[in-house]
Amino acid sequence: MGSTPKVADAARILRDVRLLAPFILLVVALAAAISLDRPLPPADLVIIERSDCYTLDPQRMSYQHELRRARVIYETLVNLRAVDCAIVPGVAERWECSPDGRTWTFHLRDDARWSNGDPVTSRDFAYAWRRALLPDTAADYSGLFFEIKGGKAFFTQRDERLKKYAERRKAGTATLSDLEQLWTETVTDFETNVGIKTPDDRTLVVELETPLAYFLDICAFPPFAPVHSATVEKFVTHDPTTGRIVQRHDWTKPGMIVTNGAYTPTVWRYKRDMRLERNPYYWNQAATEADSIECRTIENPNTGVLAFESGGADWLTDLGPEYKSEMLAERRAYLARFRADVDAGLARGGDIDDIVGALPAPGSGERRDVRGFDAFGTDFFSFNCREALPGGKPNPFHDARVRRAFALAVDKQQLIDRVTRLGERVASTLVPPGSIEGYPLVEGLGFDPSRAREELQAAGYEDRDGDGIIENAQGERFPTVDILYSTASPRYQNLALAMRDMWKRELRVSAECRGKDSKLYKEDLKKGNFMIARGGWYGDYGDPTTWLDLQRAGNGNNDRGYVNPKLDEMLDTARLETNAAKRLAMLAECERWLFTEEMPLLPLCNYVTVYMYDPSQLAGMSGHPRLEQDLSSLHRRDAAKDAQDATRGAARDTGGGRP
Amino acid sequence: MSAERQTIASLLTQRLVQLPLIVLAVYTVTFLLAWSIPGNPLESPEGRRPPAEIVEAMQKQYKLDDPVAFYFDYLGKASGVSWLMGTHPEPFDLGPSLKQPDWSVNEILGTGLPVSISLGLAAMLIALSIGLVAGTIGGLRPGSTSDYLTQLLAIIGISLPSFVIGSAILMFFAVKLRAPAIGWGGETVFESLVRASFPAFTLSLPFAAYISRLVRFGMIEEMSSDYIRTARAKGLPRWKVALKHALKNAFLPVLSYLGPATAVALTGSFVVEKVFAVPGVGQHFVDGVLGKDITLVMGVVLVYSTLMVVLNLAVDVLYRFVDPRLG
Repeated sequence: MGSTPKVADAARILRDVRLLAPFILLVVALAAAISLDRPLPPADLVIIERSDCYTLDPQRMSYQHELRRARVIYETLVNLRAVDCAIVPGVAERWECSPDGRTWTFHLRDDARWSNGDPVTSRDFAYAWRRALLPDTAADYSGLFFEIKGGKAFFTQRDERLKKYAERRKAGTATLSDLEQLWTETVTDFETNVGIKTPDDRTLVVELETPLAYFLDICAFPPFAPVHSATVEKFVTHDPTTGRIVQRHDWTKPGMIVTNGAYTPTVWRYKRDMRLERNPYYWNQAATEADSIECRTIENPNTGVLAFESGGADWLTDLGPEYKSEMLAERRAYLARFRADVDAGLARGGDIDDIVGALPAPGSGERRDVRGFDAFGTDFFSFNCREALPGGKPNPFHDARVRRAFALAVDKQQLIDRVTRLGERVASTLVPPGSIEGYPLVEGLGFDPSRAREELQAAGYEDRDGDGIIENAQGERFPTVDILYSTASPRYQNLALAMRDMWKRELRVSAECRGKDSKLYKEDLKKGNFMIARGGWYGDYGDPTTWLDLQRAGNGNNDRGYVNPKLDEMLDTARLETNAAKRLAMLAECERWLFTEEMPLLPLCNYVTVYMYDPSQLAGMSGHPRLEQDLSSLHRRDAAKDAQDATRGAARDTGGGRP
Repeated sequence: MSAERQTIASLLTQRLVQLPLIVLAVYTVTFLLAWSIPGNPLESPEGRRPPAEIVEAMQKQYKLDDPVAFYFDYLGKASGVSWLMGTHPEPFDLGPSLKQPDWSVNEILGTGLPVSISLGLAAMLIALSIGLVAGTIGGLRPGSTSDYLTQLLAIIGISLPSFVIGSAILMFFAVKLRAPAIGWGGETVFESLVRASFPAFTLSLPFAAYISRLVRFGMIEEMSSDYIRTARAKGLPRWKVALKHALKNAFLPVLSYLGPATAVALTGSFVVEKVFAVPGVGQHFVDGVLGKDITLVMGVVLVYSTLMVVLNLAVDVLYRFVDPRLG
C-alpha cells in the first residue's frame, strides 16, 4: 500500500516531463540544425561583396563583380594587368597580326592546364566562342563576337533555322532526325563560315570583319574565356520542341566546374559565400599571392560596413551606405594631419597605400580604411533627342541649341559639393580622362549661364512679354521639362531636384521631377517617355568606342534616340584607320564635336567607387582609372617584408587613384 | 477516446483535401500578381541590355511570352503532375531562377529554407520564454512596478522596427565586443548558437511582447476566477496555484496564436535576415519580387503557403489535445 503514492508521483512526474518532451526535442533538434552549419575555414584573403555572382559561366556574365571573379577563375588568351591595364600573355604565349589588321594568330602555351590536368587547347576557345555566338546561349555580350568574320551571319542564320524548325514542329512535320540535322548544319556553318579556326591544338586563328584596334583588349574580357568543353557538353541537351540546345548550368557548381585560371571555386553557397582555392595546374603560380580567397555576400550595405569593422574581412568592395561621404571626410581629416609625409612619399614615387599604411594609426574622427577611386564610369543625364515625344507632342530637346543651353546652365561642381558629396571629378565628356592609353583629354561644354541663355534665344525662346517666363515666337511657353529618374538611390532624386532649380534660375523654364521605381524607369527610358532622364555608363573595354558607340543610331543602349549619320560616318571612318594614334585622334575629334555641338547627353561626373580596406593590412590595390582589381595579386601585408620594401623605396606604378 | 481519434482523423482528412485547393488558389493569385509586375526579368534594371533577339530567345526558352502556357507548365512541374505523367524528369521542380541562371529555385530553397526555419523556430522559443515569464510576472501583480516595466518593454518590443534593434545589437555586440553576430554557423557548436541567438532574439521581440500581453491578460482573468479561489482556500500555495492551474488556462490563447505567429516568424524574417546577413529564404523572396524573378517568387510562395496550412493544422490538432472541450 505504501508504494502506491510513490508510483502515482512517478507517473505524474513522467506525465509532466512528457508534456515538456516535445519542447526539449525541439530545442535539441534546433541546436543541432544550427550548429551543423559550418562556416568555411579561414582564407588568406576575405572580401565582402554586395551581391553574389549570378553565374560562373563566362559567356553569360555581365556584372562587374562577376567579371572580377572570372578573371582569376578563367584565363583568357591575353591578360589585362590590373596595375596599368597593359596586355600581357595569358593562355597565348605569343601572337601576331596580319598586315591588314584582320587576321590574328595566337600560339597557346604548352603548360596551360585545366584544373583537372587537361591541356587547354585552341578547341576549348573555339567551343566557348561558338557558345557565345549561339542565340540558344543568350549571352549578353554576343555583340562583341559579331566583330569576328561571319559571326553575326552565323547568329542570324541559327536564329532563322530555329524559327523554321519550330514552325515545322508545330505543324507536326519535324522529326528527331530533323533535330539532329539542324544541329549538324549549325556546326558545319560555324566551321566553314565563321572566322575562328583551329589548325592544331596550340594555334587559334581569328579573322575579323574589319580591323579592330582594341581586339586584344576584348580578348582579355572574361566572356572571351575558354570553357572546358567536355564538362559543359555533359549538360547539353536538345529540346525537341524548339530545336534549341538547352545548357543546364550545373557544370558551374563546385566539384563539377573545371577552370583554367589561378583559382577554382571549391565551395559556393548562393548569396552567402564562395571559396576559391589555388588551381594546382595553373602555369603562373608565381604571380598568385593568396592560397585561398573567401568571397562573402552581404547585401545590406550597413551590415557590410559593420561586418568589416567587426574584423575578419580584408576588403569591402563597394561601400554602400549614404554615410560614406562622412567616412571619406574622416579619411581626408586623417590625410590632412599627415599632409607633409604623404606629399613627400608621393614625390618619391611611392604607392599611396604603402605611404598611408606606414603612418601612425588614425585618431578619433579619422580613418584610413576607406578610399574613393574614380571609376571607369560616367554619370550623366540623357536628353531625349527624338523629334516628338510619345503622344506626338513636339520635343524642344530635338534642337541641339536647347540641349546645349540646358547643359551650359548646370553648375556641376556645385552638384558635387552640395549633392553627391563624394568628391567626384567633373566630367564634360564621356570617356574618363587618363583611362585609355594615348587618348587625349577632350573638353566639352562647361558652366556658362549667359551663353546658355543666348543658345536658348537662338533656338527662339526668350521672355517676350516680361512675365519672367520664356516663350517662342508664337508666344507659346517653353513646355514644362519632364525629368525622369529612378528611385533606386536618393542620389538621382537629389540631382534632379538641384538641376531643376538651376534651370529655373538660369533659363527661367519650369521643370518637374518624376521619380520611378527602377523597372518602370527603364520602361519609360526605352519608350522615350521623358525629356531629360538619369543615365550612366561603365566602359567594357579599353577603347573610346565603348563610350562613343552608345550614340550610334540603332545601338541598343542609345536611350536618347539620338540619330546623326555624321556621327556614324565618323566612327566608321575611324574604325578603318590602322594607324593607332591617328585613329584615337579621330575619335577624340568625334567626342569633342559630340560634347561641344551635339550634346545628346549631359555628362556630370565620373563615378566614384568607395572601397573599404586598411592599407596597413592589405596591399596590391590598383588605382588605374579602369579600376580593375586582380584578386590574385591582393595580399595581406607581411610586416617584415614590408619594412624591407620601404627601405628599398620600392616605387610601383600607382596609376591615377586619388589619395 | 475513440470518438476523439475519429475527430482528429476527420479533421486531418478534411484539411489535407483542402490543402491543394488552398495552395492552388494562392498559386493563381500570386501568378497574376507576379505577372503584372512591370519590367522584364531577363533584363537587369541597371547596366547594359542584351540584343533584342537574345531577350526574345530567352523569353521563349522560359515561356515568358505566353502566360497561359507558363501557368500550366509551371503548375504541372511544381506539383509533380508532369512527373507522374512522365513528361518531366523531376517531381516538384520549381524551375530555374530567371535572375540567377546557375541556380534552380529548388536549390535556392534547399539551402535557405533550413536556415529560415531554424531562425524562425528559435525566435518562437525565445518569444515563448520571454513572453511567459514577463506575462506571468505582470499578471500576478497587475499595477505593480514590475507589471508596468514588463508592459513598457512589451510596447518597445512591438513598436521598434527590427532593423533598428538589429543594427543597435550589431553595433554593440559585433563591432564593440567583437562577438560573432553577422552571418550564420560557426566553427564550434557554441559559436553557432551565439551567432544565431542575435537574429533570433531580434526576430522574437514583437512576438514576445504580444505573448506577454496575452498571458498577462489571461492570468489576471484566471486568478480572479472561482476555481482559483477554491484552490487557494484549500491552502495551496499561491505560486503553485498560479503555475499549475491558472497558467495552464491562460496559455490557451497563446497556443492558438502560435500557429500563425510561427508562420509569420518564418516568412517575415527577411528584414532580420538582411540586417544580420543570415542566408535564409527571405532575401531571395524580396529580391525575387524586386527583380520580377517569377519562378523564384512562385516557388517561395508555394512552399510557404503549404507550410502555413500545415502549421495551422498542427495547432488545431494540438488544441484538441490540450483543450478537452474540443476533443
